[in-house]
Amino acid sequence: MMIFIGADYAAMGLSPEEMQGRMGKWFAWNDKMEKAGILRGGNALTSDVRRIVGENRTVTDIASAELKEIVGGYYIVEVENFDAVSEVAQDFPDYDLGGTVEIREIMVFDR
Amino acid sequence: MEPKMIDHLFRHHYGKMVSVLTRIFGLAHLETIQDAVQDTFLKATLSWKNNPPENPEAWLTKAAKNRVLDIFRKLNAERKRVPQIVNGMDAMAINELFLDTEIQDSQLRMIFTACHPYLSPTERIAFSLKTISGFSSKEIASAVLTKEDTIRKRLTRARKTIQTKDISFKIPVGRELPERMDSVLEVLYLIFNEGFHSNKAEILIRKELCGEAMRLCQMLLKNKITRTSQAYALFALMCFHAARLDSKMDENGAVIDLKHQNRKLWHFPLIRMGNDAMLKAVEDDQYSPYHFEAAIATEHLKARSFEATDWDKILMWCERLYEIQPSPIASLQMAVVQLQRDKMDEARDLLMGIQPDDLAQRAYLYYGFLAEYYRKNGEKERAIESLEIAISKVGNQAEKEYLEKKKTSIQNKNSALH
Repeated sequence: MMIFIGADYAAMGLSPEEMQGRMGKWFAWNDKMEKAGILRGGNALTSDVRRIVGENRTVTDIASAELKEIVGGYYIVEVENFDAVSEVAQDFPDYDLGGTVEIREIMVFDR
Repeated sequence: MEPKMIDHLFRHHYGKMVSVLTRIFGLAHLETIQDAVQDTFLKATLSWKNNPPENPEAWLTKAAKNRVLDIFRKLNAERKRVPQIVNGMDAMAINELFLDTEIQDSQLRMIFTACHPYLSPTERIAFSLKTISGFSSKEIASAVLTKEDTIRKRLTRARKTIQTKDISFKIPVGRELPERMDSVLEVLYLIFNEGFHSNKAEILIRKELCGEAMRLCQMLLKNKITRTSQAYALFALMCFHAARLDSKMDENGAVIDLKHQNRKLWHFPLIRMGNDAMLKAVEDDQYSPYHFEAAIATEHLKARSFEATDWDKILMWCERLYEIQPSPIASLQMAVVQLQRDKMDEARDLLMGIQPDDLAQRAYLYYGFLAEYYRKNGEKERAIESLEIAISKVGNQAEKEYLEKKKTSIQNKNSALH
């Protein structure tokens, strides 16, 4: 699983042209993974955040603009190992905006 | 599959949707509308990451249409005045406004609003680039070489003026139309020139500005009310200039003057398009400065080489241009032509009659040509002096290097004589 972490697009004030440029790169990446037959799913997440914390189950709604970093979405890919995912993650479009890709392995339990 | 996205789709779509929503809600709510449209693009970038739409444009239009109700609720909640059309929530009428022909109509209304004489010329440019062309403040700032903050102030001032003067969102009619058209054409001309003569070397931004001015001019030509001979002439002029854009600079970004441009690089489809427009422009005898400027550009394009240029004809067009619109830049143009015709006295008289300060940021052109006059007249010291002034006044790095190269070549010739 590749988890995308970074600032919220809305907070960065991207222009329509810049957003289209981003979109083109995401499409290309999406397309590449699909053609390679490794894509198993994924979602983009909206920027509304609600946190429930502690024994009192304290609920806070957080405006994404207050957060420097937010999980923006994830992709699940099926490949050999960590190194192979790193290779796939090279094409993540938002490194130049300070974005991070966190790679985690989905645990599979043997019976 | 990767969906096809037309170049600048987002940017152009932004302009379309802001215009349509303004027609529905009125100019008073422009800020709310712009935010709402910006938000549809954000939503698009989020939801498209995993689900690329088959038709991005249709998706965006639908998203904007869905915003009508949101904006309506928001304005109601803020107890703002909501126009009749929305109060009745006539879904049919609103749907129709999102049809292509109605979108074009809304955009024309926005162009006339942006170029309203109540706004200052710099506000008109900024406001047009923002609301019709979908540039961000940052992009406008880098295109017109101003601070982003200055652009934001211009946009705020423009919005305020539109409110206080209660400018209506309409295509003007009757006696008002010609005057308002003049202002629109002037703004397009300025945007184009900003790109074509830009003081910034970055070719990409320059091309975008030229392209934007041409696109807006084409919008005028699509509507029979705004399809005037002046608009055709301006479009022809832009085509002729744009055809030469690629030959104006070499691959290292250095300026190439007309004499040394590779004429094979000139873009013929654009020249043909310009010729077609020019034919339409002369269907009546309402000649404007754009007609004569286009005629001058045509003479340059017609010449197979620099040496084959018909300077007599160009002089004639320059004189006719000066007759209807005397300006220091027109005088300078005549001086340059006289220089090419080896009429040194005429050239000098014209040059001496110009106040370089009147040329503002293009004063360096004056000193550049003055140097050329001195060089040709054998006054090398003065030529170098003038070039030095030109170099001190030029803003664009590429132009600066061009002038410096010229200076060196004159200096070298100088020493060779000794």
